[in-house]
Formats: sequence, structure tokens, C-alpha cells
Amino acid sequence: MKKNLQWKLAIIVVVIGLCLFLVYPPKDKIKLGLDLKGGTHLVLQVLTEDAVNVETDQQLSRFEEVFKKNNITYLEANKEKPGRFYFRGIPVDQEGKARDLIDQYTRDWDYSFSGDRLTFNLKMVAAQYLRDLAVTQTLETIRNRIDQFGVAEPVIQRQGSDRIVVELPGIEDPDRVKNLIKVTAVLEFKLVKAGPAPDEETLLRDFGGKVPEDAEVVKSDPKRGTQGYYLVSKVATVTGKDLRTVRRGVDEWNNPAVHFTLNPDGAKRFEQVTGANIGKQLAIILDGRLQSAPVIEARISDSGIIQGRFTPEEADDLVVILKAGALPAGIKYLEERTVGPSLGSDSVRQGLMAGLVAIFAVMVFMIFYYRLSGLNAITALILNEIIIFGAMGYFKATLTLPGIAGIILGIGMAVDANVLIFERIKEEIAVGKNITSSIATGFSRAFSAIFDSNLTTIISAVFLFQFGTGPIKGYAVTLICSLVANLFTAVFVSRFIFDAFVPTNAKRLSI
Amino acid sequence: MQIFKKTPNIPFLKYKWIALAVTLVIVVAGLINILVGKGLKLGVDFGEGTLIRVMFKEPVSVSEVRKLLSEVGLGDSIIQEAGKESREFQIRTMEKRTTTQDQEIESHQILADRVIQSLQGEEDRQKLAQGLLDLNNIDRTSLTNLLRSVAPDEAENLANKIVNYRTENGIIASWDELSREPLNLPGEVTSLLQNRTFLGKMTVLSRETVGPQVGKDLRKKATQAIIWSLIGMLVYIALRFKGVEYGAAAIFTLAQDVLITMSIYSFTPREINLPIIAGLLTIVGFSINDTIVIFDRIRELQRTMRKEKLENIMNLSLNLNLSRTLITSGTVFLTVLSLYIFGGQVINDFAFLMLIGTIEGVYSTIFLSCPVVLFWNQYFKKKKLHK
Repeated sequence: MKKNLQWKLAIIVVVIGLCLFLVYPPKDKIKLGLDLKGGTHLVLQVLTEDAVNVETDQQLSRFEEVFKKNNITYLEANKEKPGRFYFRGIPVDQEGKARDLIDQYTRDWDYSFSGDRLTFNLKMVAAQYLRDLAVTQTLETIRNRIDQFGVAEPVIQRQGSDRIVVELPGIEDPDRVKNLIKVTAVLEFKLVKAGPAPDEETLLRDFGGKVPEDAEVVKSDPKRGTQGYYLVSKVATVTGKDLRTVRRGVDEWNNPAVHFTLNPDGAKRFEQVTGANIGKQLAIILDGRLQSAPVIEARISDSGIIQGRFTPEEADDLVVILKAGALPAGIKYLEERTVGPSLGSDSVRQGLMAGLVAIFAVMVFMIFYYRLSGLNAITALILNEIIIFGAMGYFKATLTLPGIAGIILGIGMAVDANVLIFERIKEEIAVGKNITSSIATGFSRAFSAIFDSNLTTIISAVFLFQFGTGPIKGYAVTLICSLVANLFTAVFVSRFIFDAFVPTNAKRLSI
Repeated sequence: MQIFKKTPNIPFLKYKWIALAVTLVIVVAGLINILVGKGLKLGVDFGEGTLIRVMFKEPVSVSEVRKLLSEVGLGDSIIQEAGKESREFQIRTMEKRTTTQDQEIESHQILADRVIQSLQGEEDRQKLAQGLLDLNNIDRTSLTNLLRSVAPDEAENLANKIVNYRTENGIIASWDELSREPLNLPGEVTSLLQNRTFLGKMTVLSRETVGPQVGKDLRKKATQAIIWSLIGMLVYIALRFKGVEYGAAAIFTLAQDVLITMSIYSFTPREINLPIIAGLLTIVGFSINDTIVIFDRIRELQRTMRKEKLENIMNLSLNLNLSRTLITSGTVFLTVLSLYIFGGQVINDFAFLMLIGTIEGVYSTIFLSCPVVLFWNQYFKKKKLHK
């Protein structure tokens, strides 16, 4: 063997060996996309306006307090919209004092006096910060919930300013997880003042038909069996923030329930309230819906049970969301794609089948048409496939169904380069050149066309990758890999095979 | 072996007027169909409703499915049979536009839930209400919990076995399957399952909903991908072939690749989703590189045959490259055909588009790319000479 052929052989062996190493074992190295593995892809939007709204409410009540404490009088205090609230009727002589107080308490709000009206506007920067924080916190909370629920390899990513992408491979019960993510999970314990009543009117009969200032009406959660309206205190005794531990257990009738303990601060308040209200009912409220309203039988300090006719799964989910904490803002689903595991494995099977048939058909054609040279092209084709998978293993690319289509298409395109070269060699032989120089001219003449043709397809694939989403990215990746690999196998490997197997003084070429 | 014993001598450029006429007819018909007729149907990816794939335990007909759906007022959904034995169906709910964007995805989801519930049928709904679990839709953990009572140690193992079996087959059709190979469940397990679960009539294979906001984004991204890759290819061609006439010919070929393929596609009931955009760009790239190979040959021949008329050189180039054009398009066609036949329902639209595109690519390369260069030279270069 000639010396430069030995070198070429060494390069080929190293490249192929490396690719085999990169892809072995394929089960671990090639990640399957959700469309093949089954799973759920969710895009959700954080309603960041909620965070601004909460901040507005908080600041409004804070300044009400501050003004009262400092004897600044006003007629009316109200929220105009999220990010803006006002006080009306502040006497002119108190304006200076009010200004001093506001400057002392906040830098995030702009304020202005016009007549007797004092308007607060949330600064743009502060609003932006709040929105951003809401998204980050939501992301963390969702991550916690999903981790606790137990999903292998979830992807939870921020996308753009207020979107979050959640990918959950291998989920069998997508609706359950969807609900788990979406609940706001604000847990409150509030004293019951009246109820249950079948409707609001009956409930408020004893209060002159009006909701008292320190109370509010809640409806019981229809999922918990009972129907009815309750009047509860506005201020919560303890909330989800006071929880120290939560675990699943059973209540006295052996029904699924959730056990909790409180942190010292919460326990102190809980003890005080329960001690003072023995015999009354305590409402357990989740996201504004009453779950149950047990009667306080004794003073309770730092532990308790949440019951409410839960199924085992519901109790499990409640533990998960209470552990992970409440969402700082509501969320809304923008996109949902769920592929069941059986459709996914069907797609893999069918894709594999289509690929094998395609390879087989192309092989038969090439051998039939180009004889031994066809065998050369097939060797190049097989090496081409190995390189594609090696590259995918190296880039940790995800294989999707369109990705499989890209590979299959690549099989058809990979032989394009061989065909260009072989046809050119044939022409040269027909003109009467000898075999060796025909091969040499064939390769050199065909090269520019091969390069051009691969490059135009790569250009479009690159932009598909840039702008595409999941599955389409997979298509672009496999197509690019196969075209780049093609330049190596069709030009370098094929040439090597001709040089190695066709003697320099050959009279005929099987082509 | 060779397709042609010797280089053929087909005067392709003679047929340029016929070819242009054929193209014009297809494109005009397509445009009329797109603008006035049913035209291009945007799919779920672009924010148009929900796509649900379901599998039934027993074969049903499209009309039965439609009947079930019309009971809940969704009889106008697109229902397609997919795959084997009339058991798999693809249902696309037609979007009912509600007033605000906020409600829209929610309403899609409600619609999808309604479809699923109506297909489950009265019997299954009653069983669910009685507290029975659907063995065809149950998840691993719930099944494990259920099996604990008869097989505390084996529960997880058994649940996995059953769910994996279901995954492989799509649906469990009868109780017999549980005690047969390969499951071979012991008697107490099957009797527990028969008491506590039922075999649901159908299972949801996949479900896709894209809300209007994401749909709009995806539309924008698809448009960007198309525009940028077309620009990219044109820039490359312009750099590669310095003559304006070749650039113009490339633009023309490219435009008509897109137009013809989409015109034909618009006459099918198939929808446009993201993979279709990817397929379209692949076709364009593939057809363009065919064209480049021909142009490369023309320029090579122009150097050696200076006296020859351009039209003859073009004909010669086309003929010299004819077997190559047919063979490479042929191999791609073979692979795409295999994808079309064996690749399954999910990728079928893509495979179909590629089938059209591969054939169309050969046609545009042979009949349409060269005439443009020829016309350009006749009209613009002659004028220069006269001056």
C-alpha cells in the first residue's frame, strides 16, 4: 500500500472509531425527543400583572397605616389600577408632612399632589423588577413542585420576558401534572363567623344582609363533597408561609389527609387563636375555596391535620404544592402538546422501518446500477450514518421524529455526491481516458458541484435551526450532520476506496 | 449499467413555452384555490385549534365517531382515520373564536375535553362515576397503589408490566389478554382488576393545543426562517455565479418551486404545520443545487465551446447531466417514498410534500431554469450590443 494511502486509512479509522465511541451505547448517548419518548410540552405565561397588583394593594394599606399613625387625615383611599393608587381629601397644610413620610418610606413609587388628591404611580423600573421577580419565583416554585412530584429529567426554562417552558418526559397523567403546576396554592386558616348556608343571602341574614368589614364570604370546594357558603374572618390566623413540615397521612377515619407542623411564629398565633375559640369552627381555605371547617376542640399549638375527603392522589398532590409554596402570580397555558408513550414508541418503530427500507432500496439500486463502484458508495453511506450518530452524540442533540425524517432524507442525498462523481468518471472513460486519470478527473471536476449543492441545503437548515422549535431543530440538526458527513465520506472515503482497490494499470472499472 | 446508452440529445429548450404554460396553469389554479377556494389550511402549530389522536378498543367507523361528536355539538370537526383496523382516529376541532384572547386557549382545552368525554361514551362515564378506574388510561403509581392489596411486594413490578404492555399495544382490548402471554398475570390480580377497574373504550394517543399567542409567534418564526434561508441561498448563488442572469434564473426557479409545490398541496385536505415549512425549504435547497450543477456545466462548456450558441450549450449541459439528475432525484424519491409508506401518520404530510417536491424539482431544473438565462441574455445583452 502506498504511504499516503496508509495515512488516509488511519484518518478514516480514527474518525469512525471516534464516532462509534461517541455514540456507544446509543441508549444513553442519543436523547429521544418528547414526540418519540412520550411526554408533555407546556408553554405557560406568568400573569406578571398580578405581582404589580399585589404590590399596589400592599403599599396602599401600608400608607393608610402610616398616615393614620402620623395623624394625616384623608377622605378616601383607593386603588385606581395595578400600579396606581390615590388618597383624596388630604388637607393642604399636611402636604409637606405627607411628602416627608413618603420619601422616608418608599423609593419605588412616584407621587404627585394635584388639588387635594395625592396619586402614587409605580416607577417603571420597579414594576419591571417586580414582574421579573414574579417570573423567577414562579419558575422556582414550579421546579420545586415538579421535583417533589417526581419526574425524571424535566426541563423548566424561562422563555422571553414572561413565559416558561416546561417539558416533562414520560408523563402518563398529564392532566394531573397540569393542575399541579397551575394551582396558586395559597393556604389560609381563618375563623368561621357563620355558616354553612345554602346561599349568600341566608348566610348574611344575621348581619343585615351586608358583609361585615372584618369578614368575607367563601364557598366550599365542590370537589370536597359539601356545598355551602361560609362567612370567615378577613385576617388569616396562619397561612401556607407558616408551615414548617407537611406530610401525607390519614385522619381518624383512616381517610387520606395531610399532616402539618408550624414554625414557632405561626405556632404562637395558632395557639392563641385556637385557645380563645374552642367550640368554634376553623376554615381551611386553599386558593379561596374552603376545603373543610373542623370544630376547634382544644388548644392546638404547632401541628394539625387538613382533611376533606381527598383521594390518595389528591392528598399527595396537596403535600407537593404546600411544600413547594404558593405561586406569586397566576399562570395561563399558551401551548400544550402531549404525546402518549404508545404513539411515541409507534413513531420510533415506524421511523426505523422507513429508514431501513430506504437504506435497503438505495443499496439495491446502487449495486444494480454501479456494480462494484456501487459497493463503494454503500460503504461511504454506512460510514456516513455512523458519523451522523457520532456527531449527534457529541452535540448531545435530541432525536425527534422530523429528525428521523432528516436522516432518511439524508440517505437519499448522501449518494448524490457519489452519483455526481461516478457519472463524471463514466464520461471521462467514454472519452477514452485511462481508468486512473478518469477517476482523478471525475473527483476533481465533481467537487465544486458537490460542495455547492451541500452548502445550499445547509444554508436553509441553519436558518431552520435558528428559528425552529424543538422537533424542527431536530430535523435541522440531523440534516446538517448528514450533509457535512457527506463531504467527508463521498469525497475522501470513496476516493480512498478507489485508490486502494483499483490497480494503477487497470483496464476496466466496474461502474 | 447506464440509463442512456450514449448521451441523449433531447432538445429540452424547444419545449420552454409548453413548460412555462404548464407552470402557469398550475400556479394560477393554485393561487385561485388559495385565494378564493379552500386553499391552504393552517394547522394546529399556527394556533388553529386542537388536534387529538385517539385509539379505540374496537373498530369504529368515521360516521360513528362523527355521531358521537355531534351529540356535543362538534360534528363539524375534521375526522380522519389513521392507521390500522379502523381503530385510530385523528380529530381536529374547528376553532370557535371567542371574544377575548385570554379565553381562547382555555376554550380550546374545554373543547378537547368535550371531544374526549363524548368519545368515551355514556357507559365509561358511568363506570368512572361509580369509582372504577380505567385500566386503559391509569398511570403507574395509581395502578401500583391498587395492586398493593393483593401483591404488596410485587405491586410495582406488576404495574410496570401492565403499563408497558399497554404502551406497546396502545390499548388493552379484553380481559383475556391479562392472563395470556406475555403478561401471565396470576388469578388474584386479574380478578382484582376486573372488580376494581374497567377496560375503557378508548385512549388518547396525543393531544396538541396551541394558543393564539404562541401560534402567532410560530407563524412569525416560520416566515423568518423562510425569508432568511431564501436570502441566504440567493446571496450564495450571487457570489458563486457572478452573472446577474444566473442569479435571476435562480430566483425564478426558487419562486416557482415554492409556488408549484404549494399549489398542488393546496388541493389536498392536508394542513400546514411546522414540518411542512421545513420540507418546503429542503425542497428549495435540493432543487437549487440541481440547478447549480447544470449552471456549473454550462459555464464549463462555454469555456471550451466558444463558438457554439448558448441554447445549444444549455441543451448539451442538460443532456450530459440528465442521468445524474434522474438518479439522484430517484434515490431521494425512493427514501421519501419509504417514509411516506412506512413512516406513520404523524410524518405523513411531510413525506407527501417531499414526494411532490422531488418530482417538481426535476421538472424545474430541466425545463425552467435555463430559459430564464436565455431570455435574460436575449433581452438585455442584445440591447447593449445595439447601443
